[in-house]
Parts: sequence; C-alpha cells; structure tokens
Amino acid sequence: MGISPEKIKEATAEALVRAGSSFTPGLRAAYARALELETNERSLWAMRQFLENADVAERRTLPLCDDTGIPHIYLEVGEFAEFGGPHLGAVSEGIAEGLRRLPGRPMAVLGDEVQRIEQSQGLSLYSEDVVPPAFSVKRISGHKVRITVMLLGGGPEIRAKTYRIFHKHRLETVLDEVAQWGIEAVRELGCTPAVVAVGLGRTHFEAVSLMLEAMALGDLEKQTPQEQQVTERINAEGSGPLGLGGRVSVLATLLNIGPQRASGVRIASVRTCCGIEPRRATVELG
Amino acid sequence: MTAMRPIPVQIPILPEVVAGLRVGDFLEISGQMYAGRDAVLPKIVAMSEEELAAKGIHLDGGVIFHTAVSVAGVGPTSSSKLEIEESIEPLSARGVRIHLGKGRLKADTMRALHVHGSLFAVTPPSTALLTDRILASEVAAFPELGMEALYRLRVDRIPAVVAILHGQSIFEQQAQRG
Repeated sequence: MGISPEKIKEATAEALVRAGSSFTPGLRAAYARALELETNERSLWAMRQFLENADVAERRTLPLCDDTGIPHIYLEVGEFAEFGGPHLGAVSEGIAEGLRRLPGRPMAVLGDEVQRIEQSQGLSLYSEDVVPPAFSVKRISGHKVRITVMLLGGGPEIRAKTYRIFHKHRLETVLDEVAQWGIEAVRELGCTPAVVAVGLGRTHFEAVSLMLEAMALGDLEKQTPQEQQVTERINAEGSGPLGLGGRVSVLATLLNIGPQRASGVRIASVRTCCGIEPRRATVELG
Repeated sequence: MTAMRPIPVQIPILPEVVAGLRVGDFLEISGQMYAGRDAVLPKIVAMSEEELAAKGIHLDGGVIFHTAVSVAGVGPTSSSKLEIEESIEPLSARGVRIHLGKGRLKADTMRALHVHGSLFAVTPPSTALLTDRILASEVAAFPELGMEALYRLRVDRIPAVVAILHGQSIFEQQAQRG
C-alpha cells in the first residue's frame, strides 16, 4: 500500500517546524568543537548565544531566527515507491501548514512580475504564501520516500556565489578558489560562524543542485581532508563569530563533487550558510 | 578592549554615554527603540522633523534596530544592505545614537558615525532568546509595508557588542590581526 498524501502533508509540516526551531545533532556537535577551539571571549559569548537561542527555540517551538527562510525541498524517492502528483501536492500543502505553525515570517511579495521586483504592492499577510522553488528529486533504492525540508535565510543569499574556476588539473586550485570566496563571504556575512556548502559540477544549475544536496545530506560530524582544508583556510583569517574576531569563522564545510565536464573549467557554487544553518529536517515514509 | 560585564544603556541615550563607550564593550539596551530596514529607512530619512513629530517619532538619543518585525519575532538583518547603510549617516545627523544590526560597514559609514557621535553595534540572531525581551511593539509609520514598516519597540536588555565607534572598527582590528 502506498503512502497517503495526508501522511505526507503532516510529515512535511512537522519537518518544517523542526527545521525552523531546532539545531540538528550535527550542528550542535560542531558548536561543541568550536567552543573548545575558541579563545576570544566575545566570540565565545556569541556562540553561546547561538546555542542558548537554539535551546529556547527547541523547548518552546519558536523560530531560531526571525528570517524563517525560503523553504526548499530535497526529495529522495525509492525506485519502488508509489509517488506521484498527489504526493507532490501534499508536500506543498505540508509546507504551507508548517509555515502557519512555525510561524513563518510573512514575506511573500505581492503583485505581477514588475511589481514583485519593485516590491510596490506590499507583502502578503500570510506566512504560507511564501512558496518553495521547484523541488529537487533524487531516486534511491528501495520503497521509501525521504523528505528533507530546508529553510534558507536571506543573509547567505547575498554572499553566495556560483561561477567558473579554471582548475589547471589540480583539486588544490579549485579548493583555493572556493576558500577565497568563503573568506570574502564570511567577512561580510554578520551571522557567523558559518557552514560552507559547496557544489562542484558541469553547469551552474548542477553546481547549485549539488550545493543544495550538500546542505540536505552533508555530515557536519564527518569531515573529509578537503572539507577540513577549506574550513581551516577560512578560519586562519581570524574573522570569528559575528566578525568579532577569533579562531572559528566556519564550523565545517560540506563539499559535494558531482560529474565533471571534459574541460579546463569547473563550475562551483559556494553558499556560506549562517550560524543556524543548515536549517533542515528529514522525515522518512513508507 | 574592555570588560565582559554588560553596560546598561537606557534610551534616550545622551551623547556623553556614547563618548564613554569603547569598541568591544558589551551593552544591554533598554527602553523604546525603533525597528526598520531596507523598505522604510529611506522613507524616514526623507521625512521632515515636523512630519516625524506628527507621528510621534523622536530620533534624538534613539536606537534603530535593523530588523523586520513579524509573528516570527525580531532579529538583525545585514546592515550593509544598500538602503540600510545609506540611512546611517543622515539618521545619525538627526540624533540616532545606536544603529543595531549585523555585519561589516564601509569606511565612509565609519567616518560618518564618528562625526555625529554615534555607534554601530551588532547582536546575534537570537530571535527565540529575544522573545521575552520585546515587551511591546506597535507600528510607528508606514503600516502598508507590513513587517518592513517602522516599528516602535519597548525592549528590556537587548544584548549587543559595540562594533564601530570613535573612528574605530572591531572588524578592521580583526582584519589587521588576520
């Protein structure tokens, strides 16, 4: 028997509220490591504020941040799962329900194309009018369906970058450039310590998709040597939490390397997620 | 750099209070502050003293918190966003003593703060923690902007760190060390 749309709606809503009001165990562990490394008292204060805020948010089911983010969905659909149009609709309904419950910030911009760009017709009063972009979908083995809800805040979007890198046939060249982008972003971000999500692919679309996948599935507790290298390069600059100085500007890096084109160019997407991200929660059904 | 103990700051803030503060100081700000960001701050800058007074808006000795106000709560937005950063100089000239937000600002803004005896402070995005410290909120101007209207907040001990003051910036100090 398949998964009912009603069950999907409720699970999605629950995941959205969890994503918006709690730290994942991986993020908590990353902060615990950072507190051991940091010596700057202002930076320690800032990181403890992040953690205390997360404790209160989780205990009282309050938003971690007033920018409750734009919901993004990463779907993993089992090859034998029955999952179609009604189920996709249920995910959308679940997002709307989750935004009502969280509550999400009512920041949907009203109007036609021009009016939306110019923000001339004001904002919707309803949290649930903040709609997600197209879902990312990946086929997995088995019968199950996993729904990961992510909430992407606006600050990191100002500093995120997707661009080409001439790799000169060395991974080091690519990682150096990625770290440099991270350094520049972290200096301006404000809500650090950051988690750096990186996608390396063949096209801009693919690089962004891989970056989003890194945010959805990446493990903050298991860092590869390449991920550690990016983290350490950025931390060596000493920007620190909130830019107050210190050893920890970046908690971890999530690097996702996809297929590559026969070319001297790699496309990189780098998003320096703020200190409460990745805001994500996953539910498994079926 | 100065002590960790928070310094209580009561709004309205006298110039001598700002003069006695230093970069890196911890503050706890209480009283009635204004909250606004990209959409509304240029409109406030464009208003005359008479227009502001007619809406009961008094900037002298005041604090502007760069945040939206919504059912989700409050929390700092990036103060380097074009329209927000451009408001800092003219609002300082009209008496705003503390601009509260997050992120690095330009050298020109740092100089303008110095000229007008104002400061920039940063606060973490602690929306859940701040819930109990926002005692009251009401729209002060431009209600049609929704969460981006100018709000009047009555607050109790909002935590902040002085980031830019007296021509010095905590961000530049870190860059020099880095």
